[in-house]
Amino acid sequence: MTGRSIPVLIVLMICILIAGCIQGQGSGKTPLKIVAAGSLLSPFSQIEDRYEIANPDIDLQVEGHGSIQAIRQVTDLSRPFDVVAVADESLIPDLMYRPSGEGGKNFTDSYVPFARNEMVIAYTGMSRYHDEINATNWPEILSRQDVRVGFSNPMLDAAGYRALMVTMLAEDYYDDQGLFQSVIGNHFNPPLRREKDGVNLTVRLPEVLRPSSQHVAVRDGSIFLMSLLAAGGIDYAFEYRSVAEAQDFNYLTLPPEINLAHTGYTDRYEKARVILGFQRFSSIGQERVGRPIVYAMTIPSNAPHPEEGQKFIQFIVEQSRIGEKGWPTPL
Amino acid sequence: MKQWIAMIMTLALIPFYLSVSGCLDGQDTDPYSDPSFHDWRLTLNGTDTRVLTLAELRSLPRAEGHGYCVSTTGFRFGPYECAGVDLRELVSLAGGMHPNDTIWISAPDGYLWVFDTEQLEGNGFITFDENLSEIPSPPLRIILMYEQDGKPLTYDDGGPARIAIISREPGIITEGSAWVKWVDTIEIRSNKG
Repeated sequence: MTGRSIPVLIVLMICILIAGCIQGQGSGKTPLKIVAAGSLLSPFSQIEDRYEIANPDIDLQVEGHGSIQAIRQVTDLSRPFDVVAVADESLIPDLMYRPSGEGGKNFTDSYVPFARNEMVIAYTGMSRYHDEINATNWPEILSRQDVRVGFSNPMLDAAGYRALMVTMLAEDYYDDQGLFQSVIGNHFNPPLRREKDGVNLTVRLPEVLRPSSQHVAVRDGSIFLMSLLAAGGIDYAFEYRSVAEAQDFNYLTLPPEINLAHTGYTDRYEKARVILGFQRFSSIGQERVGRPIVYAMTIPSNAPHPEEGQKFIQFIVEQSRIGEKGWPTPL
Repeated sequence: MKQWIAMIMTLALIPFYLSVSGCLDGQDTDPYSDPSFHDWRLTLNGTDTRVLTLAELRSLPRAEGHGYCVSTTGFRFGPYECAGVDLRELVSLAGGMHPNDTIWISAPDGYLWVFDTEQLEGNGFITFDENLSEIPSPPLRIILMYEQDGKPLTYDDGGPARIAIISREPGIITEGSAWVKWVDTIEIRSNKG
């Protein structure tokens, strides 16, 4: 060892310190953080490269959750995001038009609705009776004992409680008062009962949704439901049109009176209500009311890069109008 | 001689520098790595009520296994080596439960999840392999995890205690919605029927 070793060691330690400090800083690009509903992940992944090529200083980072969980990342978990994108526009005023606790500013005060979607029944060439099913006879086919029907967990996914709403609305539309029970309700333990109070139709879910037979399957999210459908584990799945289309499934469109797509039928859709089994989030109650499916985006008040967020929203609105495969329908 | 002393002192300081630089985590084994964990309490509400400190929770019989979960959008978390307390142990401390009762697990961030008695025994869960293909469920256990990969659970991972669903064999993925983070209350609710 010589006296020259000491400066070398000091330099080494400075390098270690610098390495620790710069760890994780990445490419030097501005991270644009988006939290989005699961059904938007496929469209957003389609445009990621295009957006980053058009905006070379931006590193687009998209994180997916159910719509309520997406909002909660900002409101309850205080995570900084530049854009929140959800599959139910009503959630933004319901959950974000309130003070954030930072200087009394609301989490947000506005939002941009940009697309709509519709509930369909997805199936494959392996699905039993796939060459028979149509927009008129689907309730009868989905009631058959040898058919397996799937939907996502209403506790976790808006497409799940919307599946129940579609089936309840179908009872009136097809004038078949046993339809909900035979397709879905009778196949749970305890059975799900559709209650009729005047014009309103309500189903109350138990705390734990447990199928009593192979006729129905419930999965946490559409990714698992679609995978089960592709594998032949179920014959039919209630799903968003854009999701079915993105994954090349066959799908049956439903009448506008029941598919939750059209604002002209809002009053009709509102008759269908689902009371969830428990209040999973303290920030939102247990009741979900039928409404047209409208997607919306907002910039939270604590967004690190609100101007970049605004540019991204504008880009998505424009891309949505192009109407590519797997995208919700532009407004 | 002075150079040797300086060299020894410099070398002795290397762990400090590594720690400051983020290369070493000096909190690996300290269950109170986050100061707020000293004030954390777990409330058990059933026919009996108990309030446990983190030290009291960690003194209960230890359950270990492999844990791996997936979000509703398909993002995987894990695999982890998990250690904690079997939920059945905590239910027992709260006075036990009847077949139709449910277990309500909640956290201060406003998140709540409910298990039934069948799930308490490790049944009724959907399980996946590494490719997220469904597989028959092996025996599972629900634990209140306080240690992940041999280290106390950090706040970012849901510490000081979160729910985990574990198996004896590795590579079993369960749905993540039940993996409640930052658990502070476990309540047994009686259901008629």
